[in-house]
Amino acid sequence: MTTDVTGARPIPTDDQVTIPALFDDPYPIYRRLRSHAPVHWIPAVNRYMVIGYHACRTVERDQERFSADETNSLMKRSMGHSMLRKDDPEHAVERASYGGVLRPKAIKNHWRAVFDHNARTYLDRLREIGPGADLIRDFAAPYAAENLRVIMGFYEATQQDMQRWSQTMIDGTGNYADDPEVWRMAKESSDEVDEAIDRALPYLRSHPDDSLLSRLADLPVPLESIRANMKMTIGGGLNEPRDALGTTVWALLSDPDQRALVAADPARWSDAFEESVRWVAPIGMYPREATRDTELDGFHVPAGARLGVVVGAANRDPEVFTNPDRYDIDRPKQPHLAFGGGEHFCAGAWVARSSVAQVALPMLFDTLPRLRLDPERPARAGGWVFRGMRTLPVLWD
Amino acid sequence: MPRIIYHNGTAEPNVVEAADGTSVMRAAVANDVPGIVGECGGQAMCATCHVYVRAEHLDLLPEMSEDEEEMLECTAAPRDEKRSRLSCQIVPGPGLDPIEVDVPADQI
Repeated sequence: MTTDVTGARPIPTDDQVTIPALFDDPYPIYRRLRSHAPVHWIPAVNRYMVIGYHACRTVERDQERFSADETNSLMKRSMGHSMLRKDDPEHAVERASYGGVLRPKAIKNHWRAVFDHNARTYLDRLREIGPGADLIRDFAAPYAAENLRVIMGFYEATQQDMQRWSQTMIDGTGNYADDPEVWRMAKESSDEVDEAIDRALPYLRSHPDDSLLSRLADLPVPLESIRANMKMTIGGGLNEPRDALGTTVWALLSDPDQRALVAADPARWSDAFEESVRWVAPIGMYPREATRDTELDGFHVPAGARLGVVVGAANRDPEVFTNPDRYDIDRPKQPHLAFGGGEHFCAGAWVARSSVAQVALPMLFDTLPRLRLDPERPARAGGWVFRGMRTLPVLWD
Repeated sequence: MPRIIYHNGTAEPNVVEAADGTSVMRAAVANDVPGIVGECGGQAMCATCHVYVRAEHLDLLPEMSEDEEEMLECTAAPRDEKRSRLSCQIVPGPGLDPIEVDVPADQI
């Protein structure tokens, strides 16, 4: 396929954007940029940031022009070359290796009971800690980590190991400053995960079960690919449900009217969740690389251009979402891009929906009906590549 | 170039001439046919390309995979035991040209 670039306009540069400002609150920045163009060159992040909904959709659906296999990828350095940084057909083979482990039938038959058990366990611990606990540190994070540990089959690890592995390798993936200490910690975790996999595979070959590692143990997938894909899954499978859960709780505790809508009809937990990941996409940006000189929404993208697909911005595009900065579970339904789209559509989407919207949120609000924000210690969100609640102190009676 | 006819309730149907080998989902997305989302790009993973296939085609459709069967339990609009399919799993061709489908009111 060729794309005519004649008449395509040059992409504007914006040198006012800074990383600390993006981390603090990226949405006013996206709003300002959007009024000029759907794609900008941002020197501070050394990328073209694609912020328009239509432009993001175009990029994620066209791996011929926009490759996931990025040159000099920090993720490849931190976690190895996982399927997330491959295109089809190589990507499709590895994607198929996950089989049905993360799909709805396995969730119904195996994982739903695990989610119920873990939600109860960590809610009990939250109550032991008492009012003033941090909903992220004391509930959302250990809950998401323990669910992932069991689904993946890391039986010799702890949920704390999962949290440490996830955070340090993700920090490596975002180590644009090339901090050697960040690389050292990412490498340490990467080595620990390799060891854990090496121990788990022989055991699971002789004791097969429904876990992801057990399925992979019997497939002719190269060990190098298994390792990279497990690290990618530890990254995405932990922070994303944790942050979706945390953001939804914060949104509902901040808006009594929205909370009342859900309290009146438990079927609305699904809407509360989908609107939350639209409003604050846990993965706010992911990379692509232009394979050729091409055109995107009327702008000229040069061959080799490093793009950031900013789904966090696309999800607030007023062309698609009316009053986009408002959390509103009653808004007209439009497909959001929080799970990505096309070949790399989030493999864990159904796990996140079940563990967060069907289990954790209803159980939390049923168990603690007087759950509320702590007026003395404000909640704080942060991040732009990955965004979520950094702290969420809560009270109850 | 097989012909695909998408019915969206009251309006005139959308008629698309699809390239050979193109699924009913891909043809819809490429031609901006309303009501078919196709988030996952055709992996039977997202349940957002649900269609009701018209009765005359049902005997000629490809067999349903386990993945598609599972996903049809997750559709936003009600499943029709006979007519519901994922349009990413249907490629028009001999016997299915033209193929007519009804697009459900909701995909998400």
